[in-house]
Amino acid sequence: MVSKTPMITTLDGVYLDHNATTPVDTSLYEFIPNWLSQFGNPSSIHQASRGPRTLIREARHHIAETLGVSPLEIVFNSGASEGNNSIIKSVWDRKGVERNEFICSSVEHPSVMKAMQAIQKKGAVIHWIPVNRDGELDMAFVQRVLSHKTALISVMSANNETGTLFPVAQLVPLARAAGALIHSDCVQVFGKQALNLKELGVDYATFSGHKFYALKGSGFMYLKKTAPFVSLIDGGAQERFRRGGTENTLGVAAMGHIVQKMKSINLTGVWADIQSHRDFFETEVRTHIPGVHVTAQKSPRLGNTSHVMIQGIDAETLLINLDLDGFFVSTGAACSSGNPEPSPVLLSMGFSRQEAQTSLRISLGWNSKRSDMERFVERLKDIVARLRQMKKEWDDVAL
Amino acid sequence: MSLSSVRVKKRVLVAMSGGVDSSVAAALLVDQGYEVIGATMQVWDYSQCDIDEGNGTCCSSLDVDDARAVADKIKIPFYVINCESKFKEKVIDPFVADYLKGQTPLPCVNCNTYLKFDHLIHKMRELDCDYLATGHYAQIETENEKSFIATSEDDWKDQTYFLFTTHSEIIPKLLFPIGHLKKPEVRRIAEEKGLVVAKKKDSTGICFVGNQGYGNFIESHVGSQVVAAQRGYFRRYPGGEVMGEHKGIHHYTYGQSRGFGLDHHEKMFVVKVDAQSRTVWLGDEVHLFGHDLQLRDMRLMDQLDENQVYTVKIRYQHKGAPAKIQKQGDGFKVSFLEKQRAITPGQAAVIYKDKKLVGGGWIVV
Repeated sequence: MVSKTPMITTLDGVYLDHNATTPVDTSLYEFIPNWLSQFGNPSSIHQASRGPRTLIREARHHIAETLGVSPLEIVFNSGASEGNNSIIKSVWDRKGVERNEFICSSVEHPSVMKAMQAIQKKGAVIHWIPVNRDGELDMAFVQRVLSHKTALISVMSANNETGTLFPVAQLVPLARAAGALIHSDCVQVFGKQALNLKELGVDYATFSGHKFYALKGSGFMYLKKTAPFVSLIDGGAQERFRRGGTENTLGVAAMGHIVQKMKSINLTGVWADIQSHRDFFETEVRTHIPGVHVTAQKSPRLGNTSHVMIQGIDAETLLINLDLDGFFVSTGAACSSGNPEPSPVLLSMGFSRQEAQTSLRISLGWNSKRSDMERFVERLKDIVARLRQMKKEWDDVAL
Repeated sequence: MSLSSVRVKKRVLVAMSGGVDSSVAAALLVDQGYEVIGATMQVWDYSQCDIDEGNGTCCSSLDVDDARAVADKIKIPFYVINCESKFKEKVIDPFVADYLKGQTPLPCVNCNTYLKFDHLIHKMRELDCDYLATGHYAQIETENEKSFIATSEDDWKDQTYFLFTTHSEIIPKLLFPIGHLKKPEVRRIAEEKGLVVAKKKDSTGICFVGNQGYGNFIESHVGSQVVAAQRGYFRRYPGGEVMGEHKGIHHYTYGQSRGFGLDHHEKMFVVKVDAQSRTVWLGDEVHLFGHDLQLRDMRLMDQLDENQVYTVKIRYQHKGAPAKIQKQGDGFKVSFLEKQRAITPGQAAVIYKDKKLVGGGWIVV
């Protein structure tokens, strides 16, 4: 039964968790009702298939054009978790006999980490590339382990927790020289900076619609024409046998629409503003809150992401306080909320469990404003001061 | 919650287990006009559990989902607070250690002492709340402007036995919103408010043990070597003749009369467990009765009068019996006016003056 009184209401607060998911762009509110009438199965022969098929074709075209690749190389699916699993397991399936080694950063998204662990159980050898406290990849390690046994290098373009950008472009020639394939999880960079996959030269890339203002449950993969692949989901002939299951017309159309919209706005200007708000936040907290460490500040980072560790502050408590006051942030990866283990990304970077448990991530988006950041900083200062005062009193009693 | 709203309501953190009692407690607080924040303590790593494991106990992952569903229904913010390491240190490890010492521990008291009324009290302050509420069957009353804990209106469900370690200074910060109700009334309210937990069965037993039984839980916790070292003999009390081998002292508790695996027709009871010699003494029921007990780590919320006769409960289901209490050495001695059955080391003796909770301690011998 559908609840008569849904609790969900419009968020009344400041949303600073865009790396977890973005709001649905309001321009879609206007289009989606029209797309809803395009209910036909795009694979049908009759006329009802034409509308949805056109929406999907156009979306594929727009996305391919933006990425500088052929529409045939774009395969729609449910998002990057599916994409990452499909690609890693495909490469193992098709290449594992002759090349059983995989190279992967130690700070990938869980869908990459877990897929790697799954093929490891079947006999693959995984080399996890270490990262340092600034979030930089150990490129010497890659060169050391890369060999004629390497099947695939998988390195994300940007880390979801710290925003660190990884040198995928430098890895491509290394992979090529060794005859290995290369994949990049591009979820966090897409829509935030220009991305031309043809120039980048990777064999595979993965994307999620809900990270760029489209809908949840929709995404796509880039599969280079020459790259080996087997469908994770067997079924109909959809996506040229590369992904079974009736297409998510709405989700696909929404992604196509946003990609078109991005071409029409001055993205460089938008992101410059966002970065200036992020930098303002970091300057303010470092000036006004003692004991703040900005993670990977000196490394190339996404302009929208700030990851900070606030000495002596339990991030879980801080996050709840902020939520109660209407500021929506994260302690790290959204997927691990409720998970007591500190972020594996931070542990891999060499931070202690204690340090990791003081971490707060804010990630800005198209609608973030300077005034929001001003209010956020004010509130953060107050809460941190109150929690520290309280902790001092308790420590004094304990002594 | 709006950014601009000025706090006019008193803010309460309510501990929600996903059971009917704490769910109704939260709903009643909303009705009473408080700003209510729900929280569940995550005490166990459920990621390693099967989907149906833990169901029917008070803190399984499905219970967290129920608590969240109730919070959504009554429109309050809700958070899961991680307490795994503290729960292991303060509740599970001592529980296992007590069993291995031949005692019958009472982990719910430690959970209240170190988690609900310590960890959550800290959370309550950190979240700028005025009160901490729980779904305990207990009441807060005042006498000469001093708050104390009093028994619930529901004699059968009363849970003050588990609250004797509560520090006096935090009592004014506590709310027990269902303490004045009887269980059927609580269920009726849950149903009336359409809470998904209205018909959920009561949790029984120790939440983290589940259906596997204490013995198996302890064995999985400490490993086979430790368990093997717990084996010993059944002996007849008081004569001492060996009656057979037992599978480890942690399987037996005072007053137990079954599960010995002995070919013996006469009804016998565990009358004593000697951890040092790993002997489980079996005897007639008459040997289970005793007049006195010693208490360690006594917690008092009120002055103790050595001439006064108090009501003392020696286990949760015990009705309570009249006794006098005297300081003796480092601890206290409780002398019942009439002999009591199965005074069990590791359990608590909890002291009442009429309805008022006076304090309590841990039974040593």
